[in-house]
Amino acid sequence: MKELFTGLYKKVAGFFQATEEKKDASKDVACNRLKFVLMQDRTNLNPYLLERMRSEMVDVLSKYVEMDKEALELSFEQEGESMALMLSIPVIRAKDEEEIQALIDEEEKAKAAKEAAKEAAKAEAEATEAEETEEDSETEESEEGEFAEDEATETVDIESEESKEEEICTCNDENDDDEEESDDVDLEDVEETPPTKKSKKK
Amino acid sequence: MSGRVIVITSGKGGVGKTTTSANIGTALAKTGQKVILIDTDIGLRNLDLLLGLENRIVYTIVDVVEERCKLKQALVKDKKNPNLCLLAAAQTRDKSAVNQDQLKAICEELKEDNDFILIDCPAGIEQGFQNAIAGATEAIIVTTPEMSAVRDADRIIGLLEAREEIESYKLLLNRVRPNLIQSNDMMSVDDVVDILSCELIGIIPEDTGVITSTNKGEPIVNDENSLAGKAYSNVARRIVGDEVEFLDLSEPKGFFATFVDNIKKFFAALAGKE
Repeated sequence: MKELFTGLYKKVAGFFQATEEKKDASKDVACNRLKFVLMQDRTNLNPYLLERMRSEMVDVLSKYVEMDKEALELSFEQEGESMALMLSIPVIRAKDEEEIQALIDEEEKAKAAKEAAKEAAKAEAEATEAEETEEDSETEESEEGEFAEDEATETVDIESEESKEEEICTCNDENDDDEEESDDVDLEDVEETPPTKKSKKK
Repeated sequence: MSGRVIVITSGKGGVGKTTTSANIGTALAKTGQKVILIDTDIGLRNLDLLLGLENRIVYTIVDVVEERCKLKQALVKDKKNPNLCLLAAAQTRDKSAVNQDQLKAICEELKEDNDFILIDCPAGIEQGFQNAIAGATEAIIVTTPEMSAVRDADRIIGLLEAREEIESYKLLLNRVRPNLIQSNDMMSVDDVVDILSCELIGIIPEDTGVITSTNKGEPIVNDENSLAGKAYSNVARRIVGDEVEFLDLSEPKGFFATFVDNIKKFFAALAGKE
């Protein structure tokens, strides 16, 4: 009997509440839009940068907890004179220690691999440089060739690995007599990058 | 005597800076304070109209800085209240006719024998705004519960905060429409205060009386029966340091609305017990 009454109360109360909130209140829309636009105004972060920041944070945090990536909420709140970045993320599940450790290990491995690749690239660049200085003394007459090579080695240090491959290819094209030496250097690189280079070259 | 220099600013135009300046100035003068109103909206002067002084202006602020007259000569006394004076803007020049140092100097001079210097700031954040805030140590930011006005107010708050000379700034929420807030179609006072996180100094309801009072050149604070006038008087009292509660702007409900409210309360109480 009591249940029947409480059910009835709830229904009637619900009806009155519904009449109050049935409207999709335009002021809430205004508040939310305003909060978002002020966040951009105050931080000088445009929507693209905000989204980027958000996704980078998701990447980092999801290593440690499993969370609802879509529901992540980002906001800046003014508290007196200082501004606070508020982050609200619904956590779906806490991860196991092993799980987290595995991810960290994986990342460390990837990092190490990257380092190794960098080292290899450096060695390669040094090798080609050394190669060139040798050449310089040998072929001083052919100035044109020298110029092209200098440019090539200078860019190797700065540019990414892919472009490095290309640079080296051009080097090789120019001095056919040194092909053997440069091939040795290439072999190291092949371990990390797919062996497209060799086929390209030939 | 060293008076307080308060700039009335908003960023956005049309939110009621000039109306606010005229009314707060008049209300302060009524309480016996010596008040100077400075219109810094050079080229678009209007404060003279709102006070009904447009026919009495001989010299303007530009005449003062270009030394065609003494500062005292350019002050125009109000029709009703000798405590209130206006330093009008020039209508034929632009904002570059006066610079920040000149305005600062004028404020310093006026501070000596007046209680309040109220500066009516032009819209925008360019030179006119920079001039207007140059001599001020306090600010009143006028905004309305509309997105664009709130956004601009936020920008102004940022600019004022960066300025060391401004010791305090407060928010005046103008043109509030309680019926729209009740139906959730306008941001409430709390919403705006929350978003801007700025202390409130006044809530002024939208009032058609403001239009008719402007027509007559008579600030609405002189109308004893007007709600907006009362709200402006309260702002003036808060400025001098009185503790005055904000007006209850919610409109009295009809019989049926009250009845529904009571039923709601009854059910809410029941639900609470369960």
